[in-house]
Amino acid sequence: MTVPLSPTRWRKLAGRCAPWLFAAPALLLFGLFLAGPFLMALSYSFTNKRLLAPPDLGAAWVGLRNYERLFRDPEAWAAARNNLLFAGVVVPVQSALALGLALLVNRHLPGSRFFRTVYFAPVATTLAVVAVVWSLLYLPEGGAANALVDLATLGRVGPRDWLRDPGLVLPAIMVLSIWQGAGFQMLVFLGGLQAVPRDLLEAAELDGAGPLRRFLHITLPLLRPTTVFVLVTTTIQSFQLFTQVQVIASGGASAPLDSFRTTVMLLVHEGFRRGRVGYASALSVLFFLLVLAISLLQRRLLKGSR
Amino acid sequence: MAGRRRVAFLLLLVLACGDRPGTTIRLWVHSGPGPEREAYAASVAAFNATRSDVRVELTVLPEGTYGDQVHAAAIAGQLPEVLELDGPTVAEYAWARRLRPLDGLPALEAARADLLPSLAAQGTYRGRLYALGQYDAGLALWGDRRLLAKARVRAPRTVDEAWSRRDFERVLWRLKRVGVARPLDLKLNYGAGEWFTFAFAPLVWSLGGDLVDPATGRARGHLDGPAAREAMGLLQAWARAGYIDPAARNDADFVLGRSALSYVGHWAWPTYHKALGRNLVLMPLPRFGERAVTGSGSWCFALSAGGRHPQAAADLLAWLMSPREIRRVTTLNGAIPGTRTALRASPLYRPGGPLALFAEQLDRGLARTRPRTPAYPAISAAFAEAVNNVLAGADPARELGRAAAAVDEEMEDNPGFAGN
Repeated sequence: MTVPLSPTRWRKLAGRCAPWLFAAPALLLFGLFLAGPFLMALSYSFTNKRLLAPPDLGAAWVGLRNYERLFRDPEAWAAARNNLLFAGVVVPVQSALALGLALLVNRHLPGSRFFRTVYFAPVATTLAVVAVVWSLLYLPEGGAANALVDLATLGRVGPRDWLRDPGLVLPAIMVLSIWQGAGFQMLVFLGGLQAVPRDLLEAAELDGAGPLRRFLHITLPLLRPTTVFVLVTTTIQSFQLFTQVQVIASGGASAPLDSFRTTVMLLVHEGFRRGRVGYASALSVLFFLLVLAISLLQRRLLKGSR
Repeated sequence: MAGRRRVAFLLLLVLACGDRPGTTIRLWVHSGPGPEREAYAASVAAFNATRSDVRVELTVLPEGTYGDQVHAAAIAGQLPEVLELDGPTVAEYAWARRLRPLDGLPALEAARADLLPSLAAQGTYRGRLYALGQYDAGLALWGDRRLLAKARVRAPRTVDEAWSRRDFERVLWRLKRVGVARPLDLKLNYGAGEWFTFAFAPLVWSLGGDLVDPATGRARGHLDGPAAREAMGLLQAWARAGYIDPAARNDADFVLGRSALSYVGHWAWPTYHKALGRNLVLMPLPRFGERAVTGSGSWCFALSAGGRHPQAAADLLAWLMSPREIRRVTTLNGAIPGTRTALRASPLYRPGGPLALFAEQLDRGLARTRPRTPAYPAISAAFAEAVNNVLAGADPARELGRAAAAVDEEMEDNPGFAGN
């Protein structure tokens, strides 16, 4: 025999369940597509699981072998180095550039709407297409990049083979990525700029603050939440670098792969081309921890200076 | 999931009943960059028209992700009854027991007996046949008659007249001297993938080496052996001398006259023939070492192990391997017809035909199959990366050493890979 719940107790119970019910769809998707696969990758990373194997040949436990190998694997080290270099340059440069563009198009000059569209256009273009077009710009013979360098240095710097020179390929990819991505951050900064109260700026102007001081002491501090958002998302995005490098690696003979291959590209090749799912899983687990650590550090640093 | 499957099943039942009684089998093929898909669609339509008891459902998947899709289907146990595979991947699927051996299927006896030896080799893994190919591929040198004449170079016509390595390098030198920008087009614009292995493994073979030990599958001493190092040295020397363009991104260097020689497969024929007409000459591959060696192998058809209608699937495969269907596809894509009968009947490849040289190279045993082992994806990836890095100036011994170590690690991790 069950005792019917009194209305107050019923309401209490419902109140306790409701948040979970509302969160259920999101939690379900999170578990199914993020937490689940990550736990699977974690468990695969201790095995020799292959992509395709005879039905009766299961994956065997190999302990820490995949991790030990990763630390000895020059390809993995090179990929991590490329990722760090890329993020180290692209995050500050792209964010600063985006802020600059946002300041430019935020001034109500004739044509600012037009330039907003122009700066945003690369973001709306498929990344693979951007990479193919840029790889033509980077051609050693007849490419626009060399023509530009030639013009700027009055012919003192000879033509370079941008995509096959181990020292130039990563910077070349950085430039194309910044060009492609800055428009999006510009839009975010633009939103932030438009939320800066005009009266504050006007008051400062009346007090005799020049444009630089107004920017440094009013605009920039008020943009802080936007800046944090932009820096964190750009960092995470830049660690996911894959499309550009993959296109450049498959459009012709390229620079030695270790000079520009990223962790995600290595991961895809190990897991799906060579079928080494166990090894690729270990790589993805370590990569996750690395990105997590960097994101946490970034949050801490940005919070600490508040 | 179960509900959806039931709906799909009911739908299938309705379709099957509404259409005709009988069985439905699925066929997966790749599409692009060649025109094969049109031929496959016509072949399937013709098959469906002649058979009232079997209906074939054709699925066309883009070439770029075809391998991934088949992999995914194999893992999920959803492979179609009949599927197309690229030659060197047959071993991996056969090892994973996803394919049905074709020995002892009466419907296929005729095609098997008629098959070119190179295709029989390609489809065989551990003594059993798993795949039949409608066509084969071959490598050769294409030349531009006008540029060759300008450099006073006489083009060899038959395998016996093939250039030696010294002849070949002298020709490159002379072409460069008369102003041909990049005398030799190696199709490096195809990128560091399967093409690098297909194109440059024959260099290693010609110089007397191999990618892996044929018995043990180990790479140490082969992939990093003297012949492979010499082959890489050749490529590097050609790049240094300006004979080849490692930065090539343009498929049309040969057609535009930037190159006088093009080292590529039969598939260049339609484009080259159209562009150069009578000025196009086809030449045998040079003898870089003792003898000339050309690559072989292409797309082929296999039956999945889990397929429910093996008889109907075998019938479809037999249909695809009939001389008429082989002719249909090879007329479109210009490939080497895969059976002796179809080869003899081909206006392109029969003796005296414009592409007869490819048939001669096959006939004379110059063609070699890429290693038939489930480790092939690892071997090809490692070798292609070494070629890519060497073309960019890296040290051949170091690159090949790394490649060999990667392959041997793969062999150690998978004891089941050894032996063929």
